[in-house]
Amino acid sequence: MASIITATVASGLTQSADNSGVLQLASGTGNLVTVPSVTGTAMVSGNMPAFSAFGNVSYSITTGVDTKVRFETERFDTANCFDSTTNYRFTPNVAGYYQINYIGRFQATSPTIAYVMLYKNGSMYIVGNQIMGIASGTNFDLPASDLVYMNGTTDYLEVYINVGGTSILVNDNGTTTFVSSFSGYLARAA
Amino acid sequence: MLYDKIKTIYPQLTIADFAPATGTIMLQNDSDGKGDYIAKWEHPTFPRPTDEELA
Repeated sequence: MASIITATVASGLTQSADNSGVLQLASGTGNLVTVPSVTGTAMVSGNMPAFSAFGNVSYSITTGVDTKVRFETERFDTANCFDSTTNYRFTPNVAGYYQINYIGRFQATSPTIAYVMLYKNGSMYIVGNQIMGIASGTNFDLPASDLVYMNGTTDYLEVYINVGGTSILVNDNGTTTFVSSFSGYLARAA
Repeated sequence: MLYDKIKTIYPQLTIADFAPATGTIMLQNDSDGKGDYIAKWEHPTFPRPTDEELA
């Protein structure tokens, strides 16, 4: 049982009440939504940030240095939370838990080891992936993902890469498919 | 390059000393045009090089 507020073409807005303590909203007949008995903001697709960006302009980095990966091109950024021009960071404007996916693409001469890392608020959050035994001079993709809590105001995420070797290039010029990438979406509001 | 300068000062260092999370030395570059810098130096034996040594 539930108290129900219903909108119909025939009757406009109607309501029925009981003492169940449960509230349901109905648009038309048979389309019921139960309002959850928790405190929070109702999330709909329009206010749940999602973004996807990639980097396809290659640049040199130094061996043994945690270097921020640049993502200059956005595929989409629904809430304008990704900075693709200056800091290459995601600063979501809704507090909650975000599914984050990232790929560091690189090549190097005689590479020994490589890491791709997620940084939160300027400090390492996690080493998402590492690999050894990479072929020299071959482009390689190092993928990782995580679920990260963000406070919706000041928290931000960036991707860093660290490669041992010489003549190291991050990203891959020109292509839009073989790229370093960074994407995420709100999985659950706080 | 900063890494090479440090390796010249301390040739005994290996890539493991610079490994993310587990290394005692962290070099960082924020892709902001300011270049590489020492973000952490916690090596148990070798002192952090001075700016003069790294110049």
